[in-house]
Amino acid sequence: MVSTIDGQMHHFNNVGLYDALFVMQDTETKTLWNHITGEALYGPLVGRTLGPVGNVLQMNVKQALVLDGDLRAAISDRAYFAGGRQFGTAPAIGSGRGPAPGRGGAPGGAAAGRGPGPGRGGAGPNPDAALSEMFVQTLGQEDTRRPRMDMGLGVWTGSTRRYYPMELIRQRGEALIDEIEGRKVLVYVDPDTFTPAAVFVNSATARLQNKEVRLDNGQVLQGGVLFLRGGRRVEVERPQQVFTRWYGFALTFPGADVFGQ
Amino acid sequence: MDKGHLSVRRRLARYVAGAFAIALIAAFSSGLVAQFRESKPVELPNGPAKPGFDISRFSGAGNGWFETFYVKDTESLRDVLKAGRVAEDTRLLVAHTVGGRLAFVTDQMAYHHLAQGSAGGKDWLVSF
Repeated sequence: MVSTIDGQMHHFNNVGLYDALFVMQDTETKTLWNHITGEALYGPLVGRTLGPVGNVLQMNVKQALVLDGDLRAAISDRAYFAGGRQFGTAPAIGSGRGPAPGRGGAPGGAAAGRGPGPGRGGAGPNPDAALSEMFVQTLGQEDTRRPRMDMGLGVWTGSTRRYYPMELIRQRGEALIDEIEGRKVLVYVDPDTFTPAAVFVNSATARLQNKEVRLDNGQVLQGGVLFLRGGRRVEVERPQQVFTRWYGFALTFPGADVFGQ
Repeated sequence: MDKGHLSVRRRLARYVAGAFAIALIAAFSSGLVAQFRESKPVELPNGPAKPGFDISRFSGAGNGWFETFYVKDTESLRDVLKAGRVAEDTRLLVAHTVGGRLAFVTDQMAYHHLAQGSAGGKDWLVSF
């Protein structure tokens, strides 16, 4: 997103919840903003957006350096763990049990996976995860085509808003080809990060094999990078996407398509 | 259970947990919520609202719990790896900003949630 409005950089904070999603506020005008779409929700800047919105992709360091060997990193003073060691000095808030406050139960953070959500048992998403009342009271009219806490990949591009349930991606061998506005899109579960992702391709079929996604045109997606048959790397384009719970995507994009339904 | 299988399960747990952070949504128990300090009051303007937005459903829960990361400096990820400050399997968020690609440590962004900075004369904002 772009934080410049009318030529002036604005400063943003998370100030609360709406539809059980974080809401940002700029300190200059006190306008509330949707942190997924960048749209102004309430306040003097309604009608404005902070676009364009860029993708935030999950990967590990090894993958990131294959993607871009010159990649720059921004590391704050917050405590974190890497390679079995702790770095950073600023303490976590809350219980102080973990390097990142989110793990202790911060809204929207990794707590989602550390609390009642997935990861607790190490066997994948927990369909029985529940929202606390604090969040439920901010929900609007929910779309019941999927369970509230269902996990999936939400994609939005052009006029298309589509949700790919994790369950369905897995049923399709963790790699499938769909079509969005006349373009083929590969939706897959990254074998290294176990997170779903989407990328535009020129292929009718896809197959996950040995941690690679093999396309019928001979191209191979490896670590999120697409290679030609001869091994030359191809720049890829990705639709806007987010790994999300169903309720979050459905309330952000009412009436969104659900792949397979 | 063999160690290899256990390792895979642990990795899966870790990545799936991280995946939920990018979901930008909350799903935690009230018991965990109770560990946090009180939320600060939110100063709200007098509208207007985007069509369909119902300000009565807005909650200031969590206000003041997090600190936006104002990025002043960046460094080569490769150098950070060489220095041992990240490992090859450290989870990152790679953001595509108007100033170019930039990597963040996922665990840190699970606290900050927002990062802001400037690059090439352009101001960017990353939300997680």
